[in-house]
Amino acid sequence: MTRLLATTVALTLLVSIAIGGVTSAEAAYRTPKEINQTLKELANQHKSSAALAELTRTPGNRELYMLELGANDSKLPAILVVANMEGNSPMASSAALELARLLLTDWNDELATHRWYILACGNPDGYARYFSKPLADAQVNERPFNADKDDATDEDGPEDLNGDGYITSMRQAHPEGTYVEVTDNPLFMREVDNAKGEVGMYRLFREGVDSDGDGKLNEDGPGGVNPGHNFPHNFKHYTKTDGPWSASEAESRALLRYCFDHSEIAMTLTLGRTNSLKNVPESNRRAEAGGDKFKLPKRWAKRMGVDPEKEFPMKVLLPMARDFTGYKELTEDMLLQWLDAGAKVNPDKNDLGYWKEISKRFNDFLKENELDGKALDAPGFSDGCFEEWAYYQYGVPSFSLNFWTLPEPKKEEKKADDSSLTLDQLEGMSTEEVVALGEEKIAAFLKAQDAPEQYTAAMVIKGLEGGMMNPKRMAKMMRKSQKDDDEGGADEKDEALFAFNPDAFVAWQPYSHPTLGEVEIGGMIPMSDITPPSETADEMINKQLPFIRDLAKLTPQLTIKKVKTTRRSADVWHVEAWIANEGFLPYPTHQGKRCQRPAPAVAKISGRPVDFLEGRPRRPLGLLGGSGGVEKVSWLVKAKDGSEVTIEAHSFSAGADKKVVTLKEATR
Amino acid sequence: MIAFRIFLTLALLVASTASATKAGKLTLSFDHYFDGPEMTRSLEQLNAAYPNLTELRIIGTSEEGRDIHLLTINNNKTGKDTEKPGVYVDGTIHGNEVQAAEVCLYLAWYLLESYDSNESIKELVDSRAFYIIPVVNVDQRWRFFTDAGHYNKGRTAMVPYDDDRDGLADEDSSEDLDGDGEILRMRVADPFGGYKTHPDDPRVMVRVEPGEIGQWRRLGSEGIDNDGDGRLNEDGPGYLDMNRNYGFKWQPPYVQSGAGDFPMSSKPTKATSDFIITKPNICFNFAFHNSGGMWVRGPGSKLAGFYPPSDVKVYDFLGKEGEKITPGYDYIIGGQDMYTTHGDFDEWMFSNNGIFGFVGELFMSEQERYRKQEPKKSEDEDDSQYYGGTPAEERQLFSDNLTQGEMYTPWKKFDHPQFGEVEIGGWRTFTTRMPPPFLMLEMVHRNASMVIFTARHAPVVSLELLDVTDLGGGLKRVRVRASNRNAIPTLSSTAVRHKIYRKDILRIDGVEVVSGGIIEDRFLNRVSSLEHRPHMIFTSVPSFGRRDVQWIVRGKGKAKVTFEAIKARNKSLTIDL
Repeated sequence: MTRLLATTVALTLLVSIAIGGVTSAEAAYRTPKEINQTLKELANQHKSSAALAELTRTPGNRELYMLELGANDSKLPAILVVANMEGNSPMASSAALELARLLLTDWNDELATHRWYILACGNPDGYARYFSKPLADAQVNERPFNADKDDATDEDGPEDLNGDGYITSMRQAHPEGTYVEVTDNPLFMREVDNAKGEVGMYRLFREGVDSDGDGKLNEDGPGGVNPGHNFPHNFKHYTKTDGPWSASEAESRALLRYCFDHSEIAMTLTLGRTNSLKNVPESNRRAEAGGDKFKLPKRWAKRMGVDPEKEFPMKVLLPMARDFTGYKELTEDMLLQWLDAGAKVNPDKNDLGYWKEISKRFNDFLKENELDGKALDAPGFSDGCFEEWAYYQYGVPSFSLNFWTLPEPKKEEKKADDSSLTLDQLEGMSTEEVVALGEEKIAAFLKAQDAPEQYTAAMVIKGLEGGMMNPKRMAKMMRKSQKDDDEGGADEKDEALFAFNPDAFVAWQPYSHPTLGEVEIGGMIPMSDITPPSETADEMINKQLPFIRDLAKLTPQLTIKKVKTTRRSADVWHVEAWIANEGFLPYPTHQGKRCQRPAPAVAKISGRPVDFLEGRPRRPLGLLGGSGGVEKVSWLVKAKDGSEVTIEAHSFSAGADKKVVTLKEATR
Repeated sequence: MIAFRIFLTLALLVASTASATKAGKLTLSFDHYFDGPEMTRSLEQLNAAYPNLTELRIIGTSEEGRDIHLLTINNNKTGKDTEKPGVYVDGTIHGNEVQAAEVCLYLAWYLLESYDSNESIKELVDSRAFYIIPVVNVDQRWRFFTDAGHYNKGRTAMVPYDDDRDGLADEDSSEDLDGDGEILRMRVADPFGGYKTHPDDPRVMVRVEPGEIGQWRRLGSEGIDNDGDGRLNEDGPGYLDMNRNYGFKWQPPYVQSGAGDFPMSSKPTKATSDFIITKPNICFNFAFHNSGGMWVRGPGSKLAGFYPPSDVKVYDFLGKEGEKITPGYDYIIGGQDMYTTHGDFDEWMFSNNGIFGFVGELFMSEQERYRKQEPKKSEDEDDSQYYGGTPAEERQLFSDNLTQGEMYTPWKKFDHPQFGEVEIGGWRTFTTRMPPPFLMLEMVHRNASMVIFTARHAPVVSLELLDVTDLGGGLKRVRVRASNRNAIPTLSSTAVRHKIYRKDILRIDGVEVVSGGIIEDRFLNRVSSLEHRPHMIFTSVPSFGRRDVQWIVRGKGKAKVTFEAIKARNKSLTIDL
């Protein structure tokens, strides 16, 4: 039974027999315990190709298991699948288990080229809360946390006052109220805009009482930290649920350790709430430190005789610094570190090209499979999430998939006349195409869409050209503003959820609250927006998993494309080898080069009796671009005619190759 | 090295317990460096000699399996350690910064040995808890005494790392080629090498002037190019700098070299941080390093933000006293006056845990002057931390005439397997970053005194009744003051601002409480009253200051006022209404 069906049944029960609303545990979504049970069964049934590694135990004493698929041959590149790390993605765990099952059965061939490491539930403590009663929206682990820093810990959580099995909301008519009902749908609440002359009516709270009598409601609930926000890239300190510092939690530490212990991991795939396959991450984050241009520290600027106030780009600074220090091996990375340039926060533009192509393929795939119906956007990356860490600090291609979001409610779009653009059309256009329409057409379009007068066509063109705006985001903003006007400001998600399932909302019912007095309890059932009925969930998972399977085929793959030997003199040979990457993705990623992971590919030559005259036998290679990126390596060797030399290319996560050549006059 | 050992043995034989105290229970002589076994043994001896005042615990093990010792000094008769303000002291997080451990050991020994004879020490030990971890980097400090060494070698944790990005970890370390127990420097004859022999001292090299022909090229550390990549000793053991491996605004290795894979990824950093969070009573910490002569505070980087002015005042007070307790030291801000560091221990302590602290950079090369005492230190010649202080040729004379040449190995020819004839020589392992043993006692004593001075300034709160006023109709106004005459507040402003701890609680029990709150101005009668739970006021007591509170109560007889703090002793007061 799905959660939404359960909701309906529960509500019916509530009305008819007036006992506490009790939802039965979901059959479609497995509990953390059932997930572990399934993993054990899979490992037991497929002993030759599956193993289960216990990474750690959570504060709630739940095991964190990694299912390792494929022959225990760490020379194969591995795909790491991390599911439900934030504890709020039931579908993700289902998908991970289904993926594991398929790889062990129908898709068994895939294990010949890649290993698969599958963490089916990265945050079992948090996810277990989904099955607890009453159901509350909280995904923290069971580490006690004194959220309000008073004299007690975890003492004031929410309560299910009306006994319907859910922690929903309470509203209280109050002079300090800043919320009103949405005109078209009294189930929804919205915040008023004083600047429009609106007056608030209600205060909103989570359902519950002030258990510790401090005047605050539900400010210190059970637990803990969400380990899915506890990774060291873009980690935020001083929050209530992200942990005191990154890697502070058993779950996140164990996964980090696992990654560093498994340098064969070539790609990560995060199954959760975000979807980087559908929407490529944008380059719009502001770095906390540094930028693209740098000032020299005053002391050095003075010694080098340059203006300490002037900012230089790296391509100017690097040769300047090499010249000044006389240290020819000075790298950009070393200089960036010395200048305290800080961490990268936006995807490298060279990597972004690959991401965009993969995203295009994914969106085409969705279209082919009729999965391209309009749906709400997936949320963006959380601070300290695994998805971003895997790319920015671990250096591998990192993708994420959420399988499903609420469908957008169907509605008629404004269209003034046939010649004008629709928002749908706008969304499908490139920036260049929109700009090419010209000022006049854009102005007509803006007018037709009732855009506020201050948005002129010239402004839009400038925004598009300057990269501050793109057609997609523009369409989204315009839809939102139209919606605000049309529906009395209902939240987009509320609208969509209500259209998808009206039972996801509990109607406001009066309740006599011990400290607030008369209130009403109602509102959205927690997590109902992320848990479709099981048929929908299964369908979405089954239809999208093949793309994941095929994604693995894009990992970088080393090959020795060609070896050429030329006789230079008696017993002296010039050996040239072209080491190429035949995979679609680069090795390493451009960010990987910056963050110094994974280790570079290496070319090696050996042979006996062979003397090396020029070129070191073992040579680390630079970045090998995707789809045939190549680097030439050459050696000058002294060997008798007819000697054999072996060329090897090696890497931790992009495979290896080997070629044996005989040094002969006519060798090509 | 052998000569050095003989020197140490001789020194040991004639050593007396150098201290102001009377003969105590245990003689420890601070005229030599304590190697791994002796350091552990000394801690065990201290623990055995003072079982009622000490506890010796192993808080974890290192990458190579060595124990990390914690000595707690606390008088259980006067209360549990966590009931008292705690002072945390550690040393040698960088394994080559050895003398930090001696400072920690001396501090412990001095506190314990003086307990019976010095009233002020007794009072301090009875009212504070000291947590002392003399050696954090147990692996490398141990190796500093047993392996062929160099004063700059051994900073890292023993975690393999591919420093030169060639896919191999730790494959090209330095070597003691001539087998003298030291990793020294190598030079090779080269007219374009940029260096020539100093005209006055053949042991010293100086840069050539433009137009001059040189004599030498510096090759770097003694060793060979093990991996044949054309670079010498570029990938030795590690590198994971534990003092970049802590959790506040930790940055990955591509931003902060030596950061490790993730926060607290090394065993000693995990062990120390796990221990520290079990002791929220810690109000101050010292982390001893070498060298340069500095009391360093954060912020260590721009990312760490700023420290609230009220916290800076606390630092300034203690730092400026420190400059007098240890003459020659400068009180500085790490990230501004030195260089940027991310993920260092002190930043984690202060910004993540709200605990004040200093890094103590032990020893100044200025102590190795060989010249007539000057009236005043001149300002212009001290722009770097070490070896900058005293010119090399002057240090040679210091070594010649004050250590009988113990500090330096003169250049000697050596047939290098890769470079042919080279010369090997240089400053020996136990030099440059640390004083010769005869200067040790003053160093350990002065630096331990700074810890003791600071420990005196741990928060001690007194609770007093200001007045009880009858408001008529059975109502009374009770005004109470909690004051702290010491420099360290019960909670740093950083801790309050970021809600790191439960605040202190001032509460009244035994009467009906009508209202209550903090008195903002006693004379103008401005009070911030609480709307809820007025009997319980959450607050903190500032540096050299007080917190006045008032309650309006109804009732007769006795009421009890209590003060509960995490970083200060609890107090209570009975009021007769």
